[in-house]
Amino acid sequence: MDFDWTTFVLEIINFLILVWILKRFLYQPVLGIITRRRAGIEKTLADAKRIETEASELKRKNERYLAEWEAEKEVAQAKLSAELATLRENKLVELEAHLNEEAARRRVLDERNRKDFERLCEEKGIAQGVTFTSKLLTRLASKELEQQLFSVLIEDLQNIREQDRHAVIEAAAEPELYVKVQSAFVLENEQQEVLSRLLNEITDRTLPIEFLVHSELISGLQIDIGPWILHANLRDELKVFSGVLRHAK
Amino acid sequence: MNAPAVVFYIGPFGITSVVVTTWGIMLVLGVSCWLVTRNLSLLKPGRLQTMLEGLVAAMEASIEAVLPGQAKQLLPFIATLWIYIVIANLTGLIPQLHSPTGHLSVTTGLAVLVFLSVHWFGIRSYGIRQYCKHYLSPTPLLLPFHLISEVTRTIALAVRLFGNIMSLELVALLVLLVAGLLVPVPLLMLHIVEALVQAYIFGMLALIYVAGALQSKQSKGNDL
Repeated sequence: MDFDWTTFVLEIINFLILVWILKRFLYQPVLGIITRRRAGIEKTLADAKRIETEASELKRKNERYLAEWEAEKEVAQAKLSAELATLRENKLVELEAHLNEEAARRRVLDERNRKDFERLCEEKGIAQGVTFTSKLLTRLASKELEQQLFSVLIEDLQNIREQDRHAVIEAAAEPELYVKVQSAFVLENEQQEVLSRLLNEITDRTLPIEFLVHSELISGLQIDIGPWILHANLRDELKVFSGVLRHAK
Repeated sequence: MNAPAVVFYIGPFGITSVVVTTWGIMLVLGVSCWLVTRNLSLLKPGRLQTMLEGLVAAMEASIEAVLPGQAKQLLPFIATLWIYIVIANLTGLIPQLHSPTGHLSVTTGLAVLVFLSVHWFGIRSYGIRQYCKHYLSPTPLLLPFHLISEVTRTIALAVRLFGNIMSLELVALLVLLVAGLLVPVPLLMLHIVEALVQAYIFGMLALIYVAGALQSKQSKGNDL
């Protein structure tokens, strides 16, 4: 247990120097690097916190935007629904009007078809009546009936109106005209002469007359003086009769 | 234990082997620290840097646990005590070398430094008048006891470390002489543990003494 004062003093000095050495080369560098690392970590944490705050803010904004968009969407949907309802109502009104118009047109068309059908039936009835009458008159046709029709023709020619007489004269004025007289039965010579003389008197000239037999006339005569035709036979009377019936409707 | 041998003289002062060993320790520590800390990395610390940071951080945390907020101020002194005493204690394991802490001159020097540092930190923190007042609390009658306590704890600090390390080396030497070559190996392992424990005790006691000086004034200030 010897105590050496030199060693004692030198140890104190050595220790103080060692404190300085370790402080200079160990504690300060290591604590500095630890402090810088802690600062970096704290900065990172602060950045993370800031980013988290910003993200929260963005999230809150997004949620607000979503809520606003949802509200706008509901308003737009309600508006669209109202517009669709109005449009549907208008379309229904238009459709109803169109249906009514179509029904009216259909009624008019049906009425026209019905009238056409009635007219067709009437024409058919008239045609059947004419046929029936024609067949009946064909069975009743005879020389005596034609004689009577000839008398009626002569009487009509004798009592011809002045206006018709001028028309006959104009028709007979054409050059190289000849008169064609058709009858259902063969005319006797006396009848031909009477008729020729009467026609010459009316036209005040001598006309070439050709007498023909045309059985389709049923009974009676037909005189063709150019464009002017005088009917006095059953066939043409039936035609006139049926035409009168048709026009009488 | 014999007195340390004088290696050479500087004027009238004889430089003993203990001082030379201490210089060697200082040289090794200084160069090692310089080599390790010259290329510290902030982002990618190596294994050695990580170990070093862990060691410094652990010492700082220990001081912070005793004296919150004063770790930066006390770290150089207390941590150097721990590091130096550990290295000095373990030097005895190297053949032909002896632990500097196995000599009373060294441990007394360290204890005196602790004694002085207690007053240094106390006076620096509170001023000499405020600091000296705590010797008169709670009553001036206790002043002699405070002074005796200061002296005895310093002596105890020096003798405790000296006695433990010196006896440890002596026991190891005796066992080696009596039992042979391999028997002292477990004892050498005990030496390592003892070296660490004694270093920790010395540094922690120094820290507690400093903390006692600071906190007694602090509590008194709070009472006032």
